[in-house]
Amino acid sequence: MPTPFARMTGLFKTYNLGGATIQALNGVDMDIEAGSFSVIMGPSGSGKSTLLHLLGGLDRPTNGRIEVGAQMLDKLDENALAIYRRKTVGFIFQSFNLLPTMTAVDNVALPMRFARVSRRERHEQALKLLDKVGLADRAYHKPTQLSGGQQQRVAVARSLANDPQLILADEPTGNLDLSSGASIMRLLSELHKSGRTVVVVTHDARMTRYATQTVHIIDGQVVTEAEYEAVLASLDEEMGEEEEEQ
Amino acid sequence: MTFAELLSTVFENLGRRKGRVTLTAMGVVIGTASVVVLVSLGIGLQRSTTEQMGAIGSLTQIQVYPGSGDSGPGMVVMKSAGGGSVSVSNVPSDQKLLTDVALRELAELPGVTAVIPQEYAQGGGMFSFEGLEGWGNTVGIGVKDMSVLGLTAEAGTLELSHGTAVIGHYVPRNFFDPRQRMGQEQPEPPDLLGKQLTQTLEKWTDDGSGGGESTRKMLQFRVVGIIAESGGEYDYSIHIPLADVTAINEWALGRRISRAKEGYSSAIVQVADVNQALDITAQITEMGYQAYTPQQFIQGLNSVFLIIQAVFGGIGAISLLVAAIGIANTMTMAILERTREIGLLKAIGATNQDVLSIFLGEAAGIGFIGGLGGVLIGWLGGQIINVLLMAYMVGQATEGGGPPPSMTIYTPLWLSVFSLVFATLVGLLSGLYPAMRAATLVPVTALKYE
Repeated sequence: MPTPFARMTGLFKTYNLGGATIQALNGVDMDIEAGSFSVIMGPSGSGKSTLLHLLGGLDRPTNGRIEVGAQMLDKLDENALAIYRRKTVGFIFQSFNLLPTMTAVDNVALPMRFARVSRRERHEQALKLLDKVGLADRAYHKPTQLSGGQQQRVAVARSLANDPQLILADEPTGNLDLSSGASIMRLLSELHKSGRTVVVVTHDARMTRYATQTVHIIDGQVVTEAEYEAVLASLDEEMGEEEEEQ
Repeated sequence: MTFAELLSTVFENLGRRKGRVTLTAMGVVIGTASVVVLVSLGIGLQRSTTEQMGAIGSLTQIQVYPGSGDSGPGMVVMKSAGGGSVSVSNVPSDQKLLTDVALRELAELPGVTAVIPQEYAQGGGMFSFEGLEGWGNTVGIGVKDMSVLGLTAEAGTLELSHGTAVIGHYVPRNFFDPRQRMGQEQPEPPDLLGKQLTQTLEKWTDDGSGGGESTRKMLQFRVVGIIAESGGEYDYSIHIPLADVTAINEWALGRRISRAKEGYSSAIVQVADVNQALDITAQITEMGYQAYTPQQFIQGLNSVFLIIQAVFGGIGAISLLVAAIGIANTMTMAILERTREIGLLKAIGATNQDVLSIFLGEAAGIGFIGGLGGVLIGWLGGQIINVLLMAYMVGQATEGGGPPPSMTIYTPLWLSVFSLVFATLVGLLSGLYPAMRAATLVPVTALKYE
């Protein structure tokens, strides 16, 4: 069995929210194979986004280990973690997170600024990436002049700026209409086919069509698909009863 | 990020929020401008005063008087320009006198280029010239060529010989027509070069019983030169050879004067280097003489002006402090507004250092922009005040007939550079706390911030 691209062992994450302790992750073990397309499914509040953030080095686990290649993320200092995010990871967010005052091409080029790529080079590279996501003609538009689907495609292009091995997408289709969402999904699938490891967090079951690996999470724990369906079904039932009561 | 990269990022970011940056920088502009104007005013005051001071005497000259001995200030000879009365004080035996030997001693001090004895004529009376009457000190100068004293001739020569006089720039103005009635215009100051002046000397002979009689004597000088305006005592004096003054004084006292025993009433010690003047003055004082150099006064004055400038600068700095709080406020607000942006920057690989540099850079940028504006406005304001002040003072001067005004606001280059650097530093410091907060945000928290 090949060593996985990323291995998470015994992950715990507790948040302190206004005095109340929230157990976001409750002992998660998970392997991400190199070159895989992993989909993490779970209802909101299940801890799936937290898992993605930990994997992307945006946060640190309360307990547990995260191994990406030779790097132990939980042991890295702030600087090394920033360099990990810069070189190894490309993020795609539900709300795009484009800088509204910058043009599409500048947004795409932004990560290269921190990677010490020359201004000219990163502009050229950004244009290429925009072309790749089919937005070459929108390069000098500001985000507000683009549709939601176009904005997310700019974000996809940006995630590729420093040519990362790992693409992390947090509900990438959550803010999009069906057809835009589908095009983003196809784009992510293409990235996967080009050899990158893609991890998508979603509660949209259609995503699994592209997945090589699907993980279900409920209440901060990995569950089997059967368990997952059972819990969702029971939740539906409860809600149904509530509706009847009303 | 490289420094150039950081700079362009900072100015891009500032350019994104022109309105707020302008308003915040305005505070810095006002602060910097007030620092520049007030300190320039202080410097201007100092400059104009020092210029006038420089006119009081050459900075390379030391006035030396006989030492006071142990019996307090000894008044050797009362000079009296107009009265004609002469008083000689008791000379204490232990007093250091300016005898010829003493002058030679002074001349041997390292750094001294010349020692020139000076003596005021006693019993000096009125001067007359073609019906005009005038007053002036008659000073005997113990040197042949007065240019040794750093003076230049406006007309004629500065070389003294028996029976001639070199007069100060303003001496002709002291001549007036005694027959003139009140309200009548005085004639133009006469051109005295090459002319013969007559001085009437007067002395009072005490007969021992309270009475006495006055004796008069007429003296003639030919004016051979007029000294260019020096701003000092030379401008108002009539200079004749020392021997001529000795003759006058011997007549006034009715006895021979022995320079070896009585010495001269004062001497000018000329030094080679301005920087040595204070040192040599101290040495001469040590030797037991009284020595004065305008530098002593200038030194005291300079410390006063330093205080004035510090107070002025402090007042300006207070407004800069207020501006600094404005920058801190703007940057803190910016961090709240841009929390998600900070989160994103970190997500795409910005280090804490990068974020810190960007926010510090923006704060310093606001300080720099404000400083630049402040220096420009401060300088411009100073120039405008100068023009207005000049116009006012010229008006005053022509009314009062005083000397032309010289007080100006002066902004030296170092002040502009210093103010600009200072404003930038103030911006940098005010951005320190907000920038550190921005840098240490946990990326995921920042990204989730609404």
